[in-house]
Parts: sequence; C-alpha cells; structure tokens
Amino acid sequence: MIELPRLLPRSFALRAALAAAGIVLAVCMLGFGFGYVRAQAALEQQIDLAVRAEAESFITDFEAHGVAGLLEAVAMHARRQSGTRVMLQTLGGQQRAGSVPGAPPALRGYATLHPPQGGSWRAIGAVLPGGLNLIVAANLAATDRTAAALAGTLPVAGAVAGIAALALGFLTARRLEHRLRGVRAAAEEVMAGDLTRRLPSAGTGDEFDQLTATINTMLARIEDLVRDLRQVTDNIAHDLRSPLSRLRQKLEAAQAAARNPAADAQTLAEASAELDAVLATFASLLRIARAEAGLRTTAPTLLDLSALATGMAETFTAVAEEQGQHLLASITPGLSLKGDAALLRQALANLIENAMLHGGPGVTIRLGLSQLNGTTHLQVADNGPGIPPEEFSKVTRRFYRLDRSRSTPGTGLGLALVAAVAQLHGATLLLSDAAPGLSVTLVFPPGA
Amino acid sequence: MRVLVIEDDRATGDYIQKGLLEAGHVVDLARTGKDGLFLALNEQFDVIVTDRMLPGPDGLAILRALRTSGIRTPVLVLTALGDVDHRVEGLDAGADDYLGKPFAFSELRARLDALYRRPAAKAEATLLRVADVEMDLLKRTVKRAGKPVELLPTEFRLLEYMMRHPGQVLTRTMLLEQVWDFNFDPNTNVVDVHVSRVRRKLDQAIGATEATPPLIRTLRGAGYALGQDD
Repeated sequence: MIELPRLLPRSFALRAALAAAGIVLAVCMLGFGFGYVRAQAALEQQIDLAVRAEAESFITDFEAHGVAGLLEAVAMHARRQSGTRVMLQTLGGQQRAGSVPGAPPALRGYATLHPPQGGSWRAIGAVLPGGLNLIVAANLAATDRTAAALAGTLPVAGAVAGIAALALGFLTARRLEHRLRGVRAAAEEVMAGDLTRRLPSAGTGDEFDQLTATINTMLARIEDLVRDLRQVTDNIAHDLRSPLSRLRQKLEAAQAAARNPAADAQTLAEASAELDAVLATFASLLRIARAEAGLRTTAPTLLDLSALATGMAETFTAVAEEQGQHLLASITPGLSLKGDAALLRQALANLIENAMLHGGPGVTIRLGLSQLNGTTHLQVADNGPGIPPEEFSKVTRRFYRLDRSRSTPGTGLGLALVAAVAQLHGATLLLSDAAPGLSVTLVFPPGA
Repeated sequence: MRVLVIEDDRATGDYIQKGLLEAGHVVDLARTGKDGLFLALNEQFDVIVTDRMLPGPDGLAILRALRTSGIRTPVLVLTALGDVDHRVEGLDAGADDYLGKPFAFSELRARLDALYRRPAAKAEATLLRVADVEMDLLKRTVKRAGKPVELLPTEFRLLEYMMRHPGQVLTRTMLLEQVWDFNFDPNTNVVDVHVSRVRRKLDQAIGATEATPPLIRTLRGAGYALGQDD
C-alpha cells in the first residue's frame, strides 16, 4: 500500500488545537457575517423611517398652508444644508423647489438613488394633489461608513478568538497527551515483563482515573493468573521430573550392571509402573484443563444423580469393607440434574478415594445426596484426621498436598478435578470441618 | 484371525504387527489412510485396527466409509488423544471399541479377541449359561449348579459381562469401562474387589474347595477370564 504524505501533524495536541481554532474561526465568520447583514438592514430601516417622517412633516405643511407654504418650507430646508434633501417637482419631472440628486420623475414609495455625480441616497416619493411630486432623500454615506467600520473590526475579533482557541486547545491536548504518555510508559513496562507495575493516577477521580483504575484491576488479575500459571508449571515440572529422573537413574544403573534376566525383568516392570504414573498425571491434568475450559466430555444431559450416587456407593462400599473401612450412604431418590455423568462419576470417585486414602484404617465415610431449598447437595464426609481450615482454599489447587500426605500415593490432582467439575456444573464446592474429619460438599444450584 | 492395522507411526505399527504375528494372527499393515481404506474395502478382515489421526482420510473417515459401504467388520480406533469425548465421538461414528495411546499390548490383544469373538448381534438372549452357571436376565437371578447365588446389582452386571465373553481375557480397563462406565483409572482396586466377591459367592454356592478348578481365573498382568479358554 502506498503511504500518502501526511497533511496533518501526528501530535494529538497540535491536531486538537488546530481543529479547535478552525471551528472557532468558522463560527466567528458565520456569526459576524450574519451580524453584519442584520446591522446593515437595521440601519437602512432607520433611514427609511427618518425620510418617511420628514416627508410626512412636509405633507402636514402642505395640508396646512397649501402649495405656497410647502414651497416655502422646501426652500428653507434646502438652505439649511442638513443630512437630508428635499425636492418638489411636477409629475413631468420639472423641478419646482429644492433638489435631490438623481431623482427620477414621479417617484412613489422608497427607492435608492445612485446619481451620476457619486454617492448614494435613500429616497421616498409622494404624489400630492395638484400634480406635485414630493421627494425626500437621505445620504447613505454615513450608514456605509458605519457598516465599513463594523466589517473592519469583525476579522480582528475573529483572529483573536481563533488564536485563543488555538492556545486553549493546544494546552488541553498537551495535558491529555502528558497523562497518556504516563499510561503508555507504564503499559510498556508491563509488556517488558514487570507485571507489578501499575498505571499512574492523577488522584482527581475523573474519567481518566476511573479508566486507569479499571486497567490496574485488570493488571492485578493478570498478575495473579500468571503467578498461578507459574506455580502450576513449576509443580508440573517437579511432579513429572521426579518420576522421570528416577526412571532414568534406574535404567542407567540397569544398563551399567551385568545382564541378569531376573533383575532386568524387575527393572523393566518398575520402569513401566513409573511411566504409568507419569501418564496418569498427564491424563488428569488434561482432564482438569478441559473441564476448566468448559469442555464437557459429552453433551450435558438430564441424568439421574441419585442412581449415579447409589451405584458409586455400592461399588466403593465393597472396596471400603475390603480395607476394613466403612462407607455409609444416605441418598434421596429421584434427584436429577443436567450434567456430565462421566465427570461427575470421576469427581465422586476422587472424593471417596481421598477419604479412604487419607482417612486412615477404620475410617467411616458418609456419602450423602439431598435436596435443600431447591439446591442439590452431594456430600462426602469422613471421620479421619481432616485438614486444617486454613488449608481449605489451597487443597483444590493442582499438585497441592498437605505435608503429612506427601508420602501417601496420589497425584495431588484429585480435588483440583473435583473443583473443575463443580465449576463446569455451576456448583459450589464447600469444604468444612466434620469434627473430626473432612466434609466436602458440592452444592448444585436449583434447576441445574 | 486376519487383522488390518492402519497406523502411520512406524514404531507403533511395527509394535502392533510384531505382537499380533507372535500371537499367531495374520496382519496387514497400512501406513496411510488411503492404503488402509483401499485394503479394508477390497479384502476380508476379521478385525480392523486404525489410528485416529492419519494422513489422507483419518480413522473416523475410514470408519464412516466402511459403514456406508455396508462393511460391518469390527473396528478398534486407536488415539493419542485418548479422552472420553473422543471416545464417544468414535463410538458414534461406528467404532466398536476405542483405545487410548499409550496402551499395553495385552490390553489391545484382549480387546481384539473380544471384538473377534463377539457374538453376532443376535436377538438378546434372556438366559446365559457358562459351565455350571446360569443367569436369567429377565428375573435377574443367578444359579450355580442349580443353587441360587445372591448378587448385588454391580456384581450382577460384572458377571453378566463376563458370561457374555466366556473364556476371553477381560482387562481391568475393559471391565471398568463396560461394567462401571468409568473412563478413568481409580486409585483403589475396584475391579479386583468386585471380582473376588463374585468369585467367592459363586464358590460358596457349591462349597468349592482349593481343589476345585476356579471358574474365574486371574491372569497375572492381564486381567480375568471366566471359564476355560476355548
């Protein structure tokens, strides 16, 4: 694409100032032009009234004293050399007394006269009984001078207004530019990697401050997300690197050792198990990520949650008994909701298995499904050691594990998946102290 | 049996081919979707294994082409994606089974055997019989040597699935998928616990002893099988 030469300066301040000045000038010209035309019309109207009044006074003279009186008055007026002229002529154009330059014969009504000797006159004519034509005229020179003076001052006033607008616009825009520069500088620092940087605020609480406050909130949220992501990445690296390093060491040692079928078989079996654990972690992470992204494994369908929970209870009651633990189910029949059966089954399995794993020998696990004020409560509680309340918000994070459970098997992803599944179903995940033990409840909103 | 394997990854393809050959099967290996589709349309196979992601027509496209041509050969779809929604999509497209990579060869073999030996889609039998075990699907009752065996619903479903695949190797993953509808690996030994319960109840019915040949055999590292290998 061809770049057109720039006709306008790039600076916002300059452009704003020019635009302001241009608009002020245009408005001035329009206003002054209109005023000039109106003033001239008003002046002309005044002159019209003046000549008419003068003419009327002569007609009064005529009515009172007849032709002789009128002639006398006209002659007297002519001698006075005032701003107006009077003339009395016959209808045929023969001059009887006084004079008006360039007067046409038999003038009736208003007319503007432009006599050959120069100047311009405003005249009014009247036809009197007896075939006389009375003409009164006023010199327009004074009016023209007033109009000329007016026309002369208007451009000056316009120029002054334009310059003022230019200056004002420039200053305002400069202030704006200055503030924008601060915002830009801060934004560039954020882009360069300093996520703790925030936009400057003028402290005036104006629209600009409101905007920077919003952007700052957004930056804080981004900072949190990036920190979380970093945390997760670190954890993934750690949790996946440890088994992979172990695997590598094992294989290296086996390679260095003398070949021994029995030992090699043992090594290979252990290596496979180690790899399976890594793959399981991967699968869990993928599943959590998909659930968090709102991707369901199947389209949400109306499913019988009571039947689902009953099936899970039956399955895990047997597993618990085998381990010397107890699972007691209290399930309200006929509760259903729209959701993803596969994910709900896994979430429930995670909760029950967590309770089995961390509850210790002889633990009693209660699986409950009930309805309360339209909300559906799916609860798994145990009477094991529980977790400290201050850890409640942390245990749903990926890879978060209590110090005391570091040695127990598990990926540290179980509750993270439950949290993701809850979120996908619009459910609230509540952890509470079952005194003793831990109680985890999924509260599904009405109509879910 | 004669197996067609459509797999573009050389290592995986060779691995499957070698394993199946060792198990005594005849294997045709196609490296592209185009070759695979050509073979599948023009030759007779007992089972087809296809990768989901292939150059040319992909696994699901091949599957659809086969089904539209009226070829009902059982198809097992392999995928690196291995997630449930893909599984559902694959089954919807007409796949008979779905297996996520990486997989144990024993798992693939067990699934192919199950597909190969799957009874033709005949009318639902209401009575299943394996050895001296009899299952009435209408009355939901089980008898061993004429003696009633009381089973919980999950145990009943487990035994039903095993009786529908007598003598076949059923892996834990297959049982989890088919009986429990679990598409994840539980951390507890769910399958083992229930299999041993069913086994115990069946054995108690006839007062079995150590000397009695077990009805449900445990195959180390592979899974379980009901009855004698046929």
